[in-house]
Amino acid sequence: MAKKDMDLAPSRREKKGLGQFILLFCLFLYTLFAFVPVLLTFIAAFTDEKYIAKNGFTLFPKEWSMNGVNAVLRYGNRLLTSYGITIFVTVFGTFAGLLIMSMFAYSISRPDFRLSKFLSIYVLIPMLFNGGQLSGYIVFTSMYHLKDSLWLLILPLMVSTMNVIILRTYIANSIPGELMEAAKIDGAGEYRTFFQITLPLLKPSLAAVGFMMATAYWNDWQNALLYITTDTKKPLQLLLINIQKSIEFLLNNSNVPASAKAAMGGTIPQYSSTMATVIIVIGPIMVAYPFFQKYFVKGLTVGSVKG
Amino acid sequence: MKDFFRNTWKHRAHVVMALPVFLVLFFIMYVPMTGLIMAFKKFDFKLGLYGSPWNGLENFKILMASKATFIQMTENTLLYYVIFTALGTLLNVVLAIAIDQCVFKKCAKTMQTLMIIPVFISYAAVQFIVYAFISTDTGILNKTFGMTTRFYSTASVWPILLTIVKIWKDTGYGSVLYMSVLAGIDSELYEAADIDGANKWQSIWHITLPSLVPMVTVMLLLSVGSVMKSDTGLFYQVTRNSGILYEKTQVIDSYILNAIFKNSNFGFTAATSLFQSVVGLLLMLFANGMVRKIEPENALF
Repeated sequence: MAKKDMDLAPSRREKKGLGQFILLFCLFLYTLFAFVPVLLTFIAAFTDEKYIAKNGFTLFPKEWSMNGVNAVLRYGNRLLTSYGITIFVTVFGTFAGLLIMSMFAYSISRPDFRLSKFLSIYVLIPMLFNGGQLSGYIVFTSMYHLKDSLWLLILPLMVSTMNVIILRTYIANSIPGELMEAAKIDGAGEYRTFFQITLPLLKPSLAAVGFMMATAYWNDWQNALLYITTDTKKPLQLLLINIQKSIEFLLNNSNVPASAKAAMGGTIPQYSSTMATVIIVIGPIMVAYPFFQKYFVKGLTVGSVKG
Repeated sequence: MKDFFRNTWKHRAHVVMALPVFLVLFFIMYVPMTGLIMAFKKFDFKLGLYGSPWNGLENFKILMASKATFIQMTENTLLYYVIFTALGTLLNVVLAIAIDQCVFKKCAKTMQTLMIIPVFISYAAVQFIVYAFISTDTGILNKTFGMTTRFYSTASVWPILLTIVKIWKDTGYGSVLYMSVLAGIDSELYEAADIDGANKWQSIWHITLPSLVPMVTVMLLLSVGSVMKSDTGLFYQVTRNSGILYEKTQVIDSYILNAIFKNSNFGFTAATSLFQSVVGLLLMLFANGMVRKIEPENALF
């Protein structure tokens, strides 16, 4: 690719040979592969419904329309409620999870705290061995009786071994222990040291872990599908799944009378309106993500639990 | 022992701070572990987990009796794990190196931002995007190539389709981790190689790749423990849980999910579930042991 260059002057970062352009082109192709499907969603949401039915999904439609988006807006209250549920679960779960996990990570990284060995193992075990979906389902519903409770959207995603390890590694590697010592000598109690010294310094890691948690909460469909039955408690992802199910129902039941279909009016989900719903569901993450991207590398370094 | 209690009392603030995570894990992870005893019980919802009567190895006999289903979904689980892990790791590394080598930094950065987006789209949404490509009447594939393939009832194409979807979704983000390693390589190493007359390929081979080995090892180790687990959304949502496709798309996790919804076959499912957890544990211990031998500082425990 690059020809031999014995000169000292140009560093490897500055050469712009033919090879570099080929590389750039390959990267560009991959970017298309990754991004075109996302783009297609946006285009389809604004494509005329009949045009899709006739010509199929396309990146270059000849007839545009706002009908898809309008149809989604007609979901009105249902959509708004689901949005509220998803936002509540995401915000509450992420902040509560970050708080308790960083407190835990801080505790187990204290030198001279004998119990920390046990706690490290305790947090590690669920990564090695767990009851699996079925046991979880049985325990949560028949033992805790939490079926249809929002707690089952929040608690299962709140603590993860991986995130505790990431926070713990960050505390061990990037926050000098002397700082904590100094705070203590100055008379700060344990809680004050944690909240005023450690927590602010933990910010890059909190941002990265928090964003990953928030996406996990936002995108969680499985717990919702398993546990939530009341309409007013359904998060966005479940709304999406329900839309797909109703499409399938309409397609597979040719004996649904035309009058019933008409009665459903604008709420019959079709191509462009479905894509518009998809955009409404994935949109907020797309908007938020570039602001967090810079923390991904710095804040997500994984180390050993023992350190 | 007395020392230990004195030490714990001295650190009581830390005990309190650790308590919330302790409790959440206890109720969400540890108590459900006891649910695995279901594998040896005849489960009855009314009697609950602990009240249901024991039935010895009955459930495993059922498992053996319908072992075709069991073997098929285990095979699928393993097959997809191998494809996704091998191809995924390879592409993550290639992409990371490609972005790292690119001298048009601004361009590369923007492209990377776009490449990562798919990882943030839930499978519940991904399935609509996939539908736009493969639907029989309106899908881009059929329209472009003038075909009339009914993808949702043609099992044989799904291993390829699912692999593409998985690669599309995870590769951009997967490469970030490796890029962080590459960013840490001392640039003097490359300059020294340049002076010694090494070409680009040689410096990638002798400097870049070896520096990625520890991270690749750790990531593989982490994944080995979840061989028996799958990306449930991929197999349940993207396939639209279509029964005709099960032969190629049913994995252990999606089977268990279906069993829960159908409220049926709990004996068989519980036995499968136990198998999944135990094999996962053994693989994790094995993998960690291997890593501890090769690269002790990268072992998890």
